[in-house]
Amino acid sequence: MNDQTPIRLSGAEETLLAQLESVGAHEAAGVLRASGLPTRRVEAYHYTDLRMLLSDVPPLAGPAPASGAPEFDIPGAYRIVVANGEIQNAGTAPAGVAVSTRKGSPLDDRDDVLVRLNTALVGTALDLELTGSVDAVIHIDRRLEGDAAHGASAARISVAPGATATILETISGSEAAHMSNGGTTVTLGEGAKVTHIVVDRLPESATQFGTVDYRLEADSRLVSLVINAGAALARTQVFAEFAGERSHSDFFGLNLVDTDEHRDITLDIRHAVPNTTSTELYKQIARGRGKGVFQGKITVVKDAQKTDAQMMTQGLMLSEEAEILAKPELVIYADDVVCAHGATCGDLDDTSLFYLMSRGIPRAEAETMLIRSFLAELVDGIEAEYVAEALTGLIDSWLAKVPK
Amino acid sequence: MSDYDIPTLKENIDRKTVDKVLALDVDKYKYGFETIIESDKAPKGLDESTIRFISAKKDEPEWMLEWRLEAFKRWQTMQEPTWARVNYPKIDFQDLYYYAAPKGSSGPKSLDEVDPELLRTYEKLGIPLSEQKILAGVQDPEGAEALPYSGNVAVDAVFDSVSVITTFREELAKHGIIFCSISEAVREHPELIKKYLGSVVPVSDNFYATLNSAVFTDGSFVYIPKDVRCPMELSTYFRINERNTGQFERTLIIAEEGSYVSYLEGCTAPMRDENQLHAAVVELVALDDAEIKYSTVQNWYPGDKEGTGGVYNFVTKRGDCRGKNSKISWTQVETGSAITWKYPSCILRGDGSRGEFYSIAISNGHQQVDSGTKMIHLGKNTSSRIISKGIAAGFSDNTYRGQVSCHRKATGARNFTQCDSLLIGDTCGAHTVPYIESRNSTAVFEHEATTSKISDDQMFYCLQRGLSQEQAVALIVNGFVRDVLQHLPMEFMVETQKLIGISLEGSVG
Repeated sequence: MNDQTPIRLSGAEETLLAQLESVGAHEAAGVLRASGLPTRRVEAYHYTDLRMLLSDVPPLAGPAPASGAPEFDIPGAYRIVVANGEIQNAGTAPAGVAVSTRKGSPLDDRDDVLVRLNTALVGTALDLELTGSVDAVIHIDRRLEGDAAHGASAARISVAPGATATILETISGSEAAHMSNGGTTVTLGEGAKVTHIVVDRLPESATQFGTVDYRLEADSRLVSLVINAGAALARTQVFAEFAGERSHSDFFGLNLVDTDEHRDITLDIRHAVPNTTSTELYKQIARGRGKGVFQGKITVVKDAQKTDAQMMTQGLMLSEEAEILAKPELVIYADDVVCAHGATCGDLDDTSLFYLMSRGIPRAEAETMLIRSFLAELVDGIEAEYVAEALTGLIDSWLAKVPK
Repeated sequence: MSDYDIPTLKENIDRKTVDKVLALDVDKYKYGFETIIESDKAPKGLDESTIRFISAKKDEPEWMLEWRLEAFKRWQTMQEPTWARVNYPKIDFQDLYYYAAPKGSSGPKSLDEVDPELLRTYEKLGIPLSEQKILAGVQDPEGAEALPYSGNVAVDAVFDSVSVITTFREELAKHGIIFCSISEAVREHPELIKKYLGSVVPVSDNFYATLNSAVFTDGSFVYIPKDVRCPMELSTYFRINERNTGQFERTLIIAEEGSYVSYLEGCTAPMRDENQLHAAVVELVALDDAEIKYSTVQNWYPGDKEGTGGVYNFVTKRGDCRGKNSKISWTQVETGSAITWKYPSCILRGDGSRGEFYSIAISNGHQQVDSGTKMIHLGKNTSSRIISKGIAAGFSDNTYRGQVSCHRKATGARNFTQCDSLLIGDTCGAHTVPYIESRNSTAVFEHEATTSKISDDQMFYCLQRGLSQEQAVALIVNGFVRDVLQHLPMEFMVETQKLIGISLEGSVG
């Protein structure tokens, strides 16, 4: 990009600019006007060139009409609906869950266009304080209803020391070309145990951007799972900071990509104190002309000795024209660490396929079996039974869907 | 020994490795002497007239000048890339000399015509230029020790901007091999230059390659005819001597069908407190069944302990496996330069072609290394292999950046990548940034990067056969490191060992 000559803004950029100005976010508008949406020259967007990919931005979301059925109906879950950015909390909160609202997005400022849009556009955010052992699954049901709308929403989840919770966030909406920009911060107090799942189930015509920001205090445990299986253009960013010693996290993620879809999971974690550990497992399946993107960056700061971080990314390509793009990255400044990443990419294994077929299993079924086994370890880490079931169901329905 | 505090180390890191890396202390750069030699320089700065000056000095044909001017025009519209993990003050491209030549060196016919001061410089560097002596079998008692490798190496020596001497030319000519400086090739083999120059690294490929295309001064040219196996190692030695000069050399190697060549490259520069710029372009073309093996020992001046001075090494190296079943192999040992920005790449265009990249990158002091490779799979059944070992010490940053990509039509592509990093001390950084881009479902890509221990399986296997823990580690690591070291030609092994003298034990610690 050239600093001297002002860039020519695309239609989508002009619309975003007008929307930012209309809510009085002049600073964010200024940044957008100066540098536009990120292109592939911006390292963090190397494979997701937003200027090229984002052609239309729908108008800002107004009040939501009546909401449809929940995307996942988890028995016994405590559901909070956030429709078009508006918090509709009808149910009674179970013990240990305090629900309120806060002004503005809880996301920290970052040099990132999606974060900037979220903080500029979110007026009221959901605020959850969790204490003790919360048995019920907390389901944050983000929805965009009615005509195509650009909706931003955010939630701050604070988990008290020693507390345990399972939180499921789904993003869904009416059949329209929506654009969603979600932000969530999850802070794990000392010794807290959290499972946090984000699933994109927007219609294919929609665009989904999401940012999750974790902060782990000492001895906390996190299981994080992100599934992109909805909007044709999706990017979910996961940031995490290990701020307390002996904290541990298992990160999982899945991109299920069909023809002409572009789904991106970008992970950026920072081991900032000694003795923290993490595993990262991200998988992608692409068919048709789908494009799956995974970027994962692990930073180990100078003082974070004894860090153990193991990242793996695997891509499975089920068609000739599918694309899998991966950029696993290690940035290490401490010398006594065990860090590794691995990346593989390929088709289904012929030998395994032959083994199954030679035992009388038809080809299609054998393929499905192999794909299921490829994905099984992602859902294995989810202890909440109904949630795991719902996720398995989601994967099965994707597999059963006849590719375009 | 070094002034750096020796950090507390993990038990399983070999002490010897640490000592040897520290012994590479930047203060002890042994090639840092300057040769006082009269030289011809172009006026400082860069504009069209500089390019005309260089072109005229080289006695170049009109088309070559046009080519350069076109590149210069493109360069003026380009921006310096900023994506690499390196930091340096903005380079003032007008504050450099773009041409410096030892006086009276325009085309020496024999060694007698070469300035003896120059020959002594090369002797100090351990570069055997005295081919007559070697040919005649005369053992010069003084010179003998200076020869780090066996006699059978043809050398092209490049001093600042010009090639001063190329040895063994007649011997090579008997096989139909052309080995000369690129400026001679422009004059004498224009048809080859026109056909191949810029065909692998296009004129406007990147900022530094374009700058090089405009102002390149000299370099080596190699042409291996059909079915010829080059009987000796070919070698170029680059030396930046003059103050404030940029060295912009250009190397072009063409291997015709079924031929083979092994090419070595070494570089040094005097110690100076300003930064010198080196922006080279290397192009390799391998036709059907040909093989090119390109090895580099890069030991430019890395700057002093405080990070002042040192060479900025911005190099574009690319090989084109144009023919079927061709093979290009890059081996590099990177120990010098204040900043290294270098990605020797292979374009695997021919069906069944193969690319290899083996690298050892060592950084110390305030050095910054951002190096790696690109393997671009275009043909069918192409394969590539990347082995990279990075060792960072002092206050340095050592980044591996590698791209493996597979084109939609490149069925059966196969890649294996392994990068290992070792950090010595907690003031340095080691980073790995691979880009894996698969666009064909039959492609199989595997990548591993680690700073972790030797795999438990390997250890278990050795231990249950009665080896002690230490023996087992030594055995496994030695087998492991050989991957890179054994790809260096014999001639370079000695020098490399002298230069780095390093055991990579502990890189898997």
